[in-house]
Amino acid sequence: MNVIVNRSAARWLPSRHRFALAQLVAFARLRQGEPQDASGPDHLILHVDRDQSAAEAYAVAVWVFVTVAAYLAATLPMPLPLAIILAIPLASIVIHIPIVVGGPILRLILGENDHVKLVSVGTMSLLFVWSFYLSRGDSWARFVAWFFFAVLACNAIAAAILWLLRAAVQAEESRCAR
Amino acid sequence: MTQPSWWHRFAVRGVFWRQVLRFAILNVPPWLEPIVMASWSLFFLMWGTARRGVMRNLAVIKPGSLAIVNFFRCYRLFWNYAWTIADNVRFKEARTIPDWEFTGWKFFQEMQERDGGAILLTAHMGSYDLGAHLFAETSSRRIVMVRAPEADPETRAFEQDRAAEGVRIEFNTRSTDLAIDLLDVIREGNIVAIQGDRVTGEIGFLPATVFGKPTRVPAGPFALALAARVPIYPVFVVRLGRRRYRLMTARPIELVRSRDRDDDFRRAVEQWVEELEHVIRDRWSQWFTFEPYWPELAA
Repeated sequence: MNVIVNRSAARWLPSRHRFALAQLVAFARLRQGEPQDASGPDHLILHVDRDQSAAEAYAVAVWVFVTVAAYLAATLPMPLPLAIILAIPLASIVIHIPIVVGGPILRLILGENDHVKLVSVGTMSLLFVWSFYLSRGDSWARFVAWFFFAVLACNAIAAAILWLLRAAVQAEESRCAR
Repeated sequence: MTQPSWWHRFAVRGVFWRQVLRFAILNVPPWLEPIVMASWSLFFLMWGTARRGVMRNLAVIKPGSLAIVNFFRCYRLFWNYAWTIADNVRFKEARTIPDWEFTGWKFFQEMQERDGGAILLTAHMGSYDLGAHLFAETSSRRIVMVRAPEADPETRAFEQDRAAEGVRIEFNTRSTDLAIDLLDVIREGNIVAIQGDRVTGEIGFLPATVFGKPTRVPAGPFALALAARVPIYPVFVVRLGRRRYRLMTARPIELVRSRDRDDDFRRAVEQWVEELEHVIRDRWSQWFTFEPYWPELAA
């Protein structure tokens, strides 16, 4: 088990985050340092796993959900308020499709663990294609699609910055984990 | 024995939903988890019996609360329950552990380091299973969990096949033999973990008053503590957020044998109820009691 004991600052280890943008924000917070909280827990065990960050998972989930719901609302042939109401449960079902369809098939082909990565990349790729299609149209959903690409661009820039700072990131991680 | 009908597996406590949960754990990318969790919590809000049970309990915990507000509180409880059972399956399938915070660390350490065994008394809150696994991985002592078996035979078999290593589970259905076994476990210096908030099936009970209303708590842990002459440590595992839990250990309950056994039990139960009420008041959204808790609510 890769764990860090009694170091609350380790919450901000970049290696506890998945996406580059979240890793960069975490790195900034880690460098900033965290004041000792006297009212904090008596003992703390933090697990180092790249999917450990709650803030990151919720932020990405909300972003993906709102994007899919907006695309569906823009596509449904009915008045917008009604389309938005219907798009919310529909978005939840649509997001399940790549998991339910792709998951078992990819698991058979690739085996355990690796298939989740491919489900993840596949889902994001489908969203990319859908966004690309809508971004070229003239419906209001193009703004949502542009925002989608803006987030992807920010993530790419963050990845480049992290690559340039990789030595500093590694040093900071080692210092915190020591 | 009659075979359950084929559709039983799709009932709310049926094995089908355990299989769906396992499928989700194995296939859902972590960044999509919150969407999946929110959707399924909403789906299970249609489970009328549990929803009504939770709402009745909430009306007692939060006197004067509006039914509509308790309906949304009920969703929050279902949401926490979904995350809790998912975290438990994720641990079993992928050994993914959450972050852990401890309060009452000195009592927890005392329980681990004392000579002789102890009883860990907890409630149907947070992740009882995950807490036991954490204990098994961090302690040199063996932990034996006592719990009620799954009502559905297929579900019980499914869970037994996937039980994690390091934790021994005993079911409270064979009470006489079990009491002797547990006494031996404690005398060997190990820990027995029991859920002490509600009475399930035909087990011995003690009267208690929780949130001002009469109810019953299991007698087993108190009788065992008196027989083994060990303290009872109230321990609660509460969920703080995604992949984040707190293990709270309270001051131990010392059962001192006197001439009046009923009085010994009464004092111990009062201390336990005080801890239980305190935790439930703060963490009502994690008290996973889906039936009316108080007999007068069930009537």
